[in-house]
Amino acid sequence: MSEAIVRVRDLVKHFGAGESLVRAVDGVSIDVEAGELVLIMGPSGSGKTTLLTMVGGLLRPTSGSIEIRGREITRMSPGELTEVRRHLVGFIFQSFNLWESLSVIENVELALNVAGVTGDEAKSRARRLLEERGLGPRVRFRCRDLSGGEKQRLSIARALANDPLLLLADEPTANLDSRHGREVMRLLRDIAKSGERAAIVVSHDQRIREVADRVLWLEDGRFTDMGKLVRDPVCGMSLEESAAATLRHGERIYYFCSQGCLREFQESPASYVAPSPVG
Amino acid sequence: MVPVARRNLFAEKGRFAISICGVAFAVLLVLVVLALYRGFSRTGETFELLPGSLWIAQTGTTDPFHSESLVQAADIESARDVAGVAAVVPVLVRQMAFSVEDHDLSARLMALDVPAGLPVDDKIRARYLPQRGVLVIDRILADKEGLREGDVARLGAVQLRIGKVQPRSAEAFEPFAFLSYEDARRVFGLEDIVNFGMVMLLPGADETAVAAALEARLPGTQVFTRLEFATAIRKEIDESFLPIIGILVAIGFTVGAAVVGLTIYTATIERSREFGVMKAVGASAVFLYRIVASQSAMLTSAGFLLGLVAALVVARLAREAVPDFATEFRSLDIAGVLVGTVVMAFAASLIPVRRINAIDPALVFRA
Repeated sequence: MSEAIVRVRDLVKHFGAGESLVRAVDGVSIDVEAGELVLIMGPSGSGKTTLLTMVGGLLRPTSGSIEIRGREITRMSPGELTEVRRHLVGFIFQSFNLWESLSVIENVELALNVAGVTGDEAKSRARRLLEERGLGPRVRFRCRDLSGGEKQRLSIARALANDPLLLLADEPTANLDSRHGREVMRLLRDIAKSGERAAIVVSHDQRIREVADRVLWLEDGRFTDMGKLVRDPVCGMSLEESAAATLRHGERIYYFCSQGCLREFQESPASYVAPSPVG
Repeated sequence: MVPVARRNLFAEKGRFAISICGVAFAVLLVLVVLALYRGFSRTGETFELLPGSLWIAQTGTTDPFHSESLVQAADIESARDVAGVAAVVPVLVRQMAFSVEDHDLSARLMALDVPAGLPVDDKIRARYLPQRGVLVIDRILADKEGLREGDVARLGAVQLRIGKVQPRSAEAFEPFAFLSYEDARRVFGLEDIVNFGMVMLLPGADETAVAAALEARLPGTQVFTRLEFATAIRKEIDESFLPIIGILVAIGFTVGAAVVGLTIYTATIERSREFGVMKAVGASAVFLYRIVASQSAMLTSAGFLLGLVAALVVARLAREAVPDFATEFRSLDIAGVLVGTVVMAFAASLIPVRRINAIDPALVFRA
């Protein structure tokens, strides 16, 4: 392993105050090395996205420190943070967040323009990034004409436009079917392994565990030891077996993130009974 | 650079077209009103175009439109002896009804007794100094009454042929018709009285000093400079018309700015998330402002061009329908409206920019 791309120390983020205080992230520390793909899992509301947002310089922590390649970002001005995001960080979003009025190539080209690359160089680099992700024949398409998998590949190409040290992905496979989900997973692995960059992925998708170098479990704003993971058949969420509500149905035990999901299952078990065990 | 502004605008073609029409309407309103003001402001121009530097009138005369001036012809004669005076031209002016074919109409008839040897520009002569038996009218009067060159006008017992229709009209409120001095004396029946004396000065003569000397020499008269005469005529227009013009221009710009502002604002709100993504990936405030300002500039420039063409067409159609609709488009006014449109675009982009500044880039992580 090479030196750390990201170093997070005692990171805390509180929302609200007094009785309504929410400890979204509560003393998280983590190092991510170059070439590493770290998967952060956890139940909804555990603070995963808040953590990702802070590491990406989009949200100021209440306390703690975040270094990206040795640069402490928590005390930077908004302008300096913009600079960090422009040159050091690439984002991949669950809902793609593409620029719908632009063509496929323009989506990547605009990200390059933001990073200061313009003209023919931006065009040729955008085309290359898209061709590398298998979108060569689609460069003139409108975003809305792409499939979900193509949209996410475009989103990845855009995230790589500024050649970032750190790739942050929020539920990158959530809106994809299993085939496209696997494609995206392979892409993320290849990206993390090629060049001097690291990737942090937040996801419920256990398939990503296959390609992750490390899997961390975040719950109530803290990293905890990960026990056996099971999947809620109603909402699809991954959760620790010890924290799940359980129900025996037939010869199997099913696990639920909440009483609500459990009740839904009870109302119509046939809708949720999976052909094979999960977790 | 990716033309984000253009793409954003063209993504909503219907709204873009409506917005352009809104701006065009505002520009049309402002330009037509300004052109109308310029057209009417030319009232009194006749007295600026005529070669006289000073005008001798009866004391108490406010201007040639709203008061009558009667001056002894002998006084006009004696004014020629004042130092600095090159010539004094007796002028007869009278509002008068006359008929052409079956039409009864009214115009301000004017005649100047320019001595034969006095050097006068050919254009001035053609426009203001017709031969005997000829009447020169302007386009507004001709269009309004359906008069054409060659028609015969009957002024009491005198018949005059319409010899020339001047394409450019100066007096929108008071149509003028020019006839020869001899014809005017026959028509008006005046012998020893004239209405004004038009004074032409020797080169280098001091206008103010000559005016003072004339007033001293001719009791019961007052002397106007050419500019004073024209200004006195325009006073009514400037005082009554100008405030209205100002309000209409302000309304035009407000409508235009509101249309551009609302369009850009709604386009910005609809694309808040996309702007948020741009902020998230490191777009600077200047980069985003450039997009909004470009959208605004495109919208207003397209609206300006359409509005300019529409204003020219509307003015032409209006003039055909209503001959009194005297408009004059001046390039400086058009340039001014263009500058105003640029200001409008800038002002209209300020609110969306504030909105963009307020967008939290972290919102891009919310599903």
